[in-house]
Parts: sequence; C-alpha cells; structure tokens
Amino acid sequence: MLMTGEQYIESLRKLNTRVYMFGEKVDNWVDHPIIRPSINCVKVTYDLAQDPEYKDLMTVKSNLTGETVNRFAHLHQSTEDLKNKVKMQRLCGQKTGSCFQRCVGMDAFNAMFSSTYEIDKKYGTNYHENFKNFLIQVQQNDWVVDGAMTDPKGDRGLAPHAQRDKDLFVRIKERREDGIVVCGAKCHQTGSINSHWHIVMPTQAMREEDADYAVAFACPSDADGMYMVYGRQSCDTRKLEEGADIDLGNAQFGGQEALVVFDDVFIPNEYIFLAGEYEFAGMVVERFAGYHRQSYGGCKVGVGDVLIGAAALAAEYNGAQKASHVKDKLIEMTHLNETLYCCGIACSTEGYPTEAGNYQIDLLLANVCKQNITRFPYEIVRLAEDIAGGLMVTMPSQKDFDSDLAVGRNGETIGEICNKFYAAAPSCTTEQRMRVLRLIENLCLGAAAVGYRTESMHGAGSPQAQRIMIQRQGNIEGKKALAKAIAGIKE
Amino acid sequence: MKCGVKFCGGCNPHYQRGDAFRRIQADMPEIEFEYAEEGTDYDHLLVIGGCTACCPIIDQYTVNGDVLKMWSEDHVDIIEEKLEEKLK
Repeated sequence: MLMTGEQYIESLRKLNTRVYMFGEKVDNWVDHPIIRPSINCVKVTYDLAQDPEYKDLMTVKSNLTGETVNRFAHLHQSTEDLKNKVKMQRLCGQKTGSCFQRCVGMDAFNAMFSSTYEIDKKYGTNYHENFKNFLIQVQQNDWVVDGAMTDPKGDRGLAPHAQRDKDLFVRIKERREDGIVVCGAKCHQTGSINSHWHIVMPTQAMREEDADYAVAFACPSDADGMYMVYGRQSCDTRKLEEGADIDLGNAQFGGQEALVVFDDVFIPNEYIFLAGEYEFAGMVVERFAGYHRQSYGGCKVGVGDVLIGAAALAAEYNGAQKASHVKDKLIEMTHLNETLYCCGIACSTEGYPTEAGNYQIDLLLANVCKQNITRFPYEIVRLAEDIAGGLMVTMPSQKDFDSDLAVGRNGETIGEICNKFYAAAPSCTTEQRMRVLRLIENLCLGAAAVGYRTESMHGAGSPQAQRIMIQRQGNIEGKKALAKAIAGIKE
Repeated sequence: MKCGVKFCGGCNPHYQRGDAFRRIQADMPEIEFEYAEEGTDYDHLLVIGGCTACCPIIDQYTVNGDVLKMWSEDHVDIIEEKLEEKLK
C-alpha cells in the first residue's frame, strides 16, 4: 500500500535507529534541524506518488504482486520502465534541488534480483526466493531501502582478507544454522538514516581468499548492533541558527550521508542473498553500479534544471539578462545538462532483459553517462557562479538585512544599509536577490554541493571505475577491424 | 458529460499542466472532469502531456467518445473548442 508523505515521516518515528552526530546520540533525529531537510526530500517521493499530475511516473504496477507500487520499489520490466526511472529522477531533482536518496534502494533491488537468480542457478541456493520475498515486503509496506555498497577499504593496495583490520570490509564473522553474524561498516551511505531497511552488497569483485567478504543481505535500520554516524556537509550548522531561512539557500530540502556500522549484527537465513559465492560479487557490483550510473542521468539533470533557473534569475535580478554572453552561458549550461539527460535516456533505451526477467541498462552507455556526470556539473557550476557574481559568497547574513541596529550618521540601520547597497534591478526585491544567490551558493559550494558536485564525481564509482568499464565494453578489436576493412589492410 | 483526465508523469513539462487543466475546468463548469481511473466509463478522455511526446499510456481506460490530447499551453483554447462541440 502506498504511504503518504506524512505517513512516511510517522513510520520513521517508530524505528529505534541509533544516530550519532557531533559526538552525541541524537534521540529525536526525525525533527533534528540538520537531518530534517533530507527527510523532507524523501517525503517528496511519497507526495508526488499521490499527486495526479505526477503519479503516471511515480507509480507502476508491480510484476510481483499486481498492486500499484512506488516506482522506487519496482523491478524494471521493459526499456520503457528504464526510461521512466530516469524521467522520475529528473522530476524529483527538479522538485527538491537535492539528492532525494531513494534511488540507491531501487538500483540495489534490480541488481540483486537478477544476480541472485544466476547464483541460485549455479549453486542451487535459495537467494532469489529470499530476495523476492523481501522485495514483496518492501513494496507492500512502501519502505525506503538503502543500497549499501561502499566499504571503508583501508589500504587500497590490499585485498579484504589482507587488511590489518579485518573489519574494513563488511564480512561474515560467524556462520550459524539459522543465519550469519556480520561486522564492518559502509561509508557515505546516502539516505541511510531515512531508510526503513538496508540492502548490503559487496563493494568489489572478490577472490576465494575473500569468500567471507562476498556477502549480501537485508536488515532493518534498527537491527541490534547497527548504528550510524552522520556525515558533515558544508555550511551544515547554518541550519542550527535561530530563524534560519534565506541563508540556507534551500531551507526545505537537503541530502544525507552517514557511516553505517555493523557491530556483530545477526542476519537470519531468509534475508541472506549472497554468502561466500565470491565469484558473483563482481556481478552484483557491476549491475548495481550500472543502474546507479544510469540514475545520475536523471537526478543530476533535475538539480541542474534548478541551478540553470537560478542562474537565469540571478542574471535578471542583476539586470544583465540581455547581455549576449549571459544568454550564451545559459545556453551552454542547458546544452551540458541535456547531454547528460541524453545519456540517461540512451542507456535505458538500449536496455535488455536479464535471465531473471527484469531489465538491465546498456553498460557502456551508462558508464559514458556517469563519466560525463563527473565533468559537466562542474562546468555548469562554474558558469552559474560566473553569472551570479561574487555576491553569492560575500553577501551579509539574513540577520544583517533584518537588523534594526542604527549605525549610520542619520540613524540608518544595518538592514537599511544592506538593502540600500544590495538593491539591483527594479524587477526584484533585495530579499529575492538574496534568496536566489543563496540558492546558487547552496548548490555550488554549500550543503547541496555534496550531492551536485562531489557526489557527481565519486557517487556510483569514481571516474576511473567508469573508464575501466568503458575500456572493457568499448570493443576496440571491432573498431580495429572496421579500420582495416576501410584501409584495405589484409592479413 | 463525464471527461476523464490523465496527466503525463511531468518529468520536464514545458508549461504548468495543472494550471492549464484548472483553466479548462473553470471555463467549462458544465463538464464533469475527474482523474481517470481504470474500470470507470468516460464520455471522453483529456490527456495532458508536458511536452510533444505526450507519453501517457491510456489503453487501460474505458472511453466511449474521443481522446483529446494536449501538450502545450496554446492547446487550451483548441481543447475548449473541441469540448464545446461535444456538448452540442
């Protein structure tokens, strides 16, 4: 059954998730001013699913139950589904101007569904059935699920088993008749605190010596032995300031990352999806990463739409909207942004069915998509900052603009002085100008830059990871044969 | 006259689809508009797309009359003219 946004927030209150921030336990994390904007962001994925104007994208009929479910909990049944996923993500990015966090779970569902099918085929295990049963629960309860992949990894030159500290990759510590005990941690987990459940997957391809590290499972956020340490974001403590609004740039929405720790967590057999079949770890990683690299062709584009709009507004408020170079910069930003969207749509259009029946994206095009994402948002940000002008980082605070402290010779207040000197085109108030410049600051180098910039670089794999995949998928031998044929080279 | 209404998903609409619909609704109070549901019979179906793709799938709806599609704010007048015709 679909939850409303409010029901989602109430469902979080019922969890006993252990959250720590600034060295202290946060008991009421749902209403914490630093965390709440990220919860509001996930809430949008529920609100839009209830809205007739958006439910065509946000909801879909489940192939498992026949019921209407949120698309974030869906197994892609066609290339149309893959494209709709990208479109939904663009929409959510447009509505939040942030990372809305729910896509990692969707990408984990699709990767694990097809991978468990193939593991069972080889080993006669029961992982696919386990996974299907879990996903039915997810769909029926409309849960948010974190897709947890990235281990701390320690010394990058060493395999998991060779690390000085054995916990630097999530591992099976103990095997019992009724399940396994796992320990370790997952780093920079997007939306992990806002999730009801977690799917944990291996972080890289494994060898036989690392069989205990080839593990995938599901567990609830408040499982015994599990806790999370909140990740800092640029300018995060602005959210703690009394009456904070304009200075936040985006007061309503934000992203979230955390360190998720598994301190001897028991996982019952029915929630295990991989436990030692090490040669399949690489498959899980490749499939999850492929979907997630496709995802960025939607979500970052939606946030890019917001930034382009903000830059256009800033130009208008500065009275510079008619300058040809400003128009040209907005065209360039749009061109870059739509190129990313083209990549997201292209890798979806070229998707294909897996053995399990759900659809997989074209891996080469998805990796090209993500490789572009590691570059273009940076250029879009550069152009936005160019258009906005230096004021986006030198402007006094909202409290100064609101201040009635008299400081001028004729009794002018700080607020009057700020409003006098920061007024621009008559089409806007000084407050409107402040608001849009703060939004640009938020996206380019504030809290949302975590999602729009650095996450574009490293999320779903750093640039080199895509280059390795592009090399593997690029069919250079085929291209050489083409060149030989044209050049008349016979062997 | 009962007219079902189906919006596209709104991934990147080129105009405010909701506003356009509310304008049509306000201009034509004699028509009973409702968000299309499967299993309900409609005299006509209004499909409101956000761009030229006008992508919604509508096979699941029961429509006795015509399917009217729009994907631009400029289409509001045309849709209203067509609906006026149907009322006659």
